[in-house]
Amino acid sequence: MIRFLGRRAFELVVVFVGVTFIIYVMVFTLPGDPIAALGGDRPLPEAVQEQLRAQYHLDEPVWLQYLRYVGGLFVGDLGTGFDGRAVGDRMAARWPVTITLALTAWAIEVVVGVVLGLVTGLRSGGFVDRTVLVGTILATSIPVFVLGVTAQLVFGLQLGWFPIAGTSAGWPSAYLLPAIVIALFGLASVTRLMRGSVVDTMRSDFVRTLTAKGMPRRNIVGVHVMRNSVAPVLTFLAIDLGYLLGGTVVIEAIFNLPGIGQLLFDAIKTHEGPTVVGVATALILIFLATSVLVDLVNSLLDPRIRHE
Amino acid sequence: MRRKQRTATAGVLLVAAMALTACATGGSDAADDGTRAITMGVTDPGTLTPGRQLVAYDFNMAVWAPLTFLESDGTLTYVQAESIESDDNTTWTITLKDGWTFHDGTPVTAQSYVDSWNTVAYGPNAFENSGQVANIVGYTDLNPAEGEPTGTEMSGLTVVDDSTFTVELIGPDSQFPLQVSQAQTAMYPMPESAFDDLDAYNTHPIGNGPFELQDDYVENEPMVVTAYEDYAGDEPTTDQITFVPYTDDTTAYTDVQAGNLDISSVPASRLPQADEEFGDSFYSFEAPGISYLGLPLWDERYQDVRVRQAISMAIDRETINDVIYGGAYTPATAFTPAIEPGTPEGICGELCEYDPEAAKALLDEAGGFEGSMEIYFPGGGGLDEFYNAIANNLRQNLGVDATAVPSADWAEFSDKRTASDIDGPFFSRWGALYPSQQATLRPFFVENGGCANCIPWYDESVKAAIDTADATDPGDGSAYADVQELILEEFPAPPLFFETYSYVTSDAISELVTSPVGNPRLTHVELAD
Repeated sequence: MIRFLGRRAFELVVVFVGVTFIIYVMVFTLPGDPIAALGGDRPLPEAVQEQLRAQYHLDEPVWLQYLRYVGGLFVGDLGTGFDGRAVGDRMAARWPVTITLALTAWAIEVVVGVVLGLVTGLRSGGFVDRTVLVGTILATSIPVFVLGVTAQLVFGLQLGWFPIAGTSAGWPSAYLLPAIVIALFGLASVTRLMRGSVVDTMRSDFVRTLTAKGMPRRNIVGVHVMRNSVAPVLTFLAIDLGYLLGGTVVIEAIFNLPGIGQLLFDAIKTHEGPTVVGVATALILIFLATSVLVDLVNSLLDPRIRHE
Repeated sequence: MRRKQRTATAGVLLVAAMALTACATGGSDAADDGTRAITMGVTDPGTLTPGRQLVAYDFNMAVWAPLTFLESDGTLTYVQAESIESDDNTTWTITLKDGWTFHDGTPVTAQSYVDSWNTVAYGPNAFENSGQVANIVGYTDLNPAEGEPTGTEMSGLTVVDDSTFTVELIGPDSQFPLQVSQAQTAMYPMPESAFDDLDAYNTHPIGNGPFELQDDYVENEPMVVTAYEDYAGDEPTTDQITFVPYTDDTTAYTDVQAGNLDISSVPASRLPQADEEFGDSFYSFEAPGISYLGLPLWDERYQDVRVRQAISMAIDRETINDVIYGGAYTPATAFTPAIEPGTPEGICGELCEYDPEAAKALLDEAGGFEGSMEIYFPGGGGLDEFYNAIANNLRQNLGVDATAVPSADWAEFSDKRTASDIDGPFFSRWGALYPSQQATLRPFFVENGGCANCIPWYDESVKAAIDTADATDPGDGSAYADVQELILEEFPAPPLFFETYSYVTSDAISELVTSPVGNPRLTHVELAD
């Protein structure tokens, strides 16, 4: 187990250095001078541009900029955006929004997805199963953008059940609608996965043995089938949590939620290297961490998976 | 045993989720105690300091009072200034009104202005709007092309007494009183406390205007400003304005529809339907903005003036305006926006009118057009329909192989335009901050005037004519007519539209008024009962 974690930690460092450098270089090579574009179609005076370029070291070669950036990381400095705001502060202000949204959506996926999967798995081929099948196909085939705007117009504007935008209404009402919209996509996958898994498990020998032994069905399903079916779903759920935490740019924009996805999108638009790298790195770390976590939890659930 | 571990994991996740959501809750409550409060959707500003802000004009115009204010009828009234006078249009004497204070209680003095303008001009401060003070003598000393600035103060500014100071300009400029009007935010004063810590000031700016900021500015959080009790100017019609940041102005627009927000600008994509959806609550304010179709004059195919004229006459401005902008704009008939005093409307004549036959005949006369034409515009800004329509016009009416091609983003576009690295017509627009023909002519037609290569034709005689008009204009803009004649002769680029800035309001507002800079006048919002 320790060797496993050690190997993972080493991989993490390699991925971290490689990815940050690649992203830094990519942002640097984007066409167009970010400082010249800073003022939009009312460009800043040349002297100001020069000053800003010097201030943010944009007049230096890219490798030196990168070393400077990594050097800053060691003292906890994530760099500054072109308006002088610290990237660390900006990210800190936006994580709560994204994390709240992601966990809300994720909770919906877990609860509704697992329950629906279980129900349809136990009654495969029935009316409920077919209805859910059609529903999940629908949910995955409509683009999230269309779903978001439609939900906003129907439930926000016409029915007035939810606020249309912003976080000022607080949790849960401000987050519920966008979370449902995002969750629908993952929900469909969770349901399908869980259903297949349950169907398989129900047909397995040990379930037949338990039934023959006279164990109540509630116990069979609630303890044994659940535990054996949930492993593959869990892997998906963990990866999906990483994806949700990556910020769903489109939904954050539609519902005006100032999350991490918006920050990344804006930073890419304005070519703010430090912000892009900062956010991207944090996301990569989250993905790496969740994948380690999945491996660990899987080994707890299924003793056959061991990390030696 | 294993089962317990699993429950524990789930428990940790749940607690974490609850802790995190708790952080994010706790929004602001609306004022329900009879306060006359309004909300307005804005772009998250990032910088609020007047000399630095790029997208916080409405906030700035609420929190500061300008020296002068240009009214909708074209008259210039004095706000913080008692008078602004000059004998030679070069040295201006500004006298301030007595009894005005900043929100921290300190008096607004001549020294406040001089210190503020020096701070804006000082190169190492890198104030984004320092261009607004660039015509004051001594600006170049603070912004040398090479090396460090030689001082921290502009020699052109002199404090005479507490309420009087003089400004020496690098050349005679009759438009100076307009250059210190409402939207020239870099000319606003800052209190003494600002200069000790400019970063702290940017987080909590203190102005001399009708509204004061309540809490420190936090990124993406609503900014609440309330009426300043000791404001010496006209009392505003509201007690409180909340500026709510939106990432997507379409969302803000929808929020006004739902009644959650009182004022929002109208995104281009909503212009065709805004009138129908909002009726009387849809406002299109005439603004000092104008768009051109920039032409690559470094390409020999555009050298013949008849080619440029033919392109202009082949564009159906009326239809494009109706279909794409819901009729909100006005087809251009001159080289500066009509709202700028003295603009000779109609000077463009038949060259700005749609006449496909004449256009084709003129192009044939000039020898036709070789090769393809790629109209280049900044992508991601909702301009696609507009430039596709122009390309269609040119293809159908002139038989030119015209297509519209977007750039990846603004940065790429502006780089290529500045470097003259475009081989077709291109996006070209300018929004002036004060309605004087000078403020449009200089950026377009004087080298380094602001809009680099928007119209890549920098003619000495035009610059001289603008200089003369600057020096001699009696105040009604009539002196700039000569400049427009010179431009008409060369016709370097077809003017397209006089722009308007459009807004929608909720039922809480009965009348939104504006000023000639095109923004809503937030001190004069009329509330419904």
